[in-house]
Amino acid sequence: MSDPKTTPAATGEHDVLGHVDSPPTLLIVFVAILVLFAATVGISSSGMFGKYTLFVQLGIGSIQASLVGCYFMHLRHGDRVVILTALASIFWMGILFVLFMSDYMTRHRVIG
Amino acid sequence: MSANTHSTVLKHHFGDLEQQHASERLGMWMFLATEVLFFGGLFGAYACYRLWYAAEFEYASSFMNLKFASINTVFLVTSSLTMTLAIRCAKLGDKAGLYRNLLLTFALGSAFMVLKGFEYAEDFHEHILPGTSSFGGEIKHDAEAQGLDTGKVRLFLCFYYIMTGIHGVHIIIGLGCILWLVQQTYANKIPPENYSTVEVVSLYWHLVDAIWLFLMPMLYLAGAHIHHVAH
Repeated sequence: MSDPKTTPAATGEHDVLGHVDSPPTLLIVFVAILVLFAATVGISSSGMFGKYTLFVQLGIGSIQASLVGCYFMHLRHGDRVVILTALASIFWMGILFVLFMSDYMTRHRVIG
Repeated sequence: MSANTHSTVLKHHFGDLEQQHASERLGMWMFLATEVLFFGGLFGAYACYRLWYAAEFEYASSFMNLKFASINTVFLVTSSLTMTLAIRCAKLGDKAGLYRNLLLTFALGSAFMVLKGFEYAEDFHEHILPGTSSFGGEIKHDAEAQGLDTGKVRLFLCFYYIMTGIHGVHIIIGLGCILWLVQQTYANKIPPENYSTVEVVSLYWHLVDAIWLFLMPMLYLAGAHIHHVAH
């Protein structure tokens, strides 16, 4: 890798844009999110997953959110500390869900 | 980059612009982490009751207007695309493109809220409301006929109004921030060196979009929508 101090000043479009993806890439991501949305509607209307529908829906939602995060929010090229913050927020929400659900989903065993 | 622009964009407490941009991004991400937890509480409460009262939640969800919600999803995802393109224009110094994309994002976000308003009006008209006295019409009649607990149906409606309401407030705040960006662009305060101002607002906007991608299946797609097809 060349020494940044000796590299000539960035003048090309690519250098100026840095971590911003090109419009065709963004367009593909945009279409992918909408296709996944159509899939969610299809899965829900057909009822093919029965009682697991919610989990499949949330799974697809997570893929959509990951696409938004990686491409629209630039996590793909993000600083490590930013990626760590994003992952930490998901991790904390995981703690919230595990503790919360382990209480509420087991209460009926005591009460009833 | 002129020395003059550099000095007005770079705040005195940062070493260079790169450090300033990284700090701005990190600051917004820290805020977004709190937003994730804020909505996480709502999602957790919803998940719990959805699993407890599955029949009532699926029944009530089938009364939600899937057509409006689907159009709104397309509006929001498209607005996320135009917002990302706005960052690109800001970086390239394309002021006309920046204006165009910011105004498109604003228009799509506003269209989302207008449609949401029509949806609330329709719900109000059909008595799809959580209050004891305001709840009525077909949703109540059919629930009683099917032997469902109307209290649990109304609980779903509480989630629907609270979740979409809080999300709507986030959209309105986002729209305000986008208008501010338009004003800043007009005042020539967003030169390419200051693109991160657009990026920071876009991060917030994308999070609001991502949250909608979860709200949509949770609120509108829990049931089979046989009721709305029927009339």
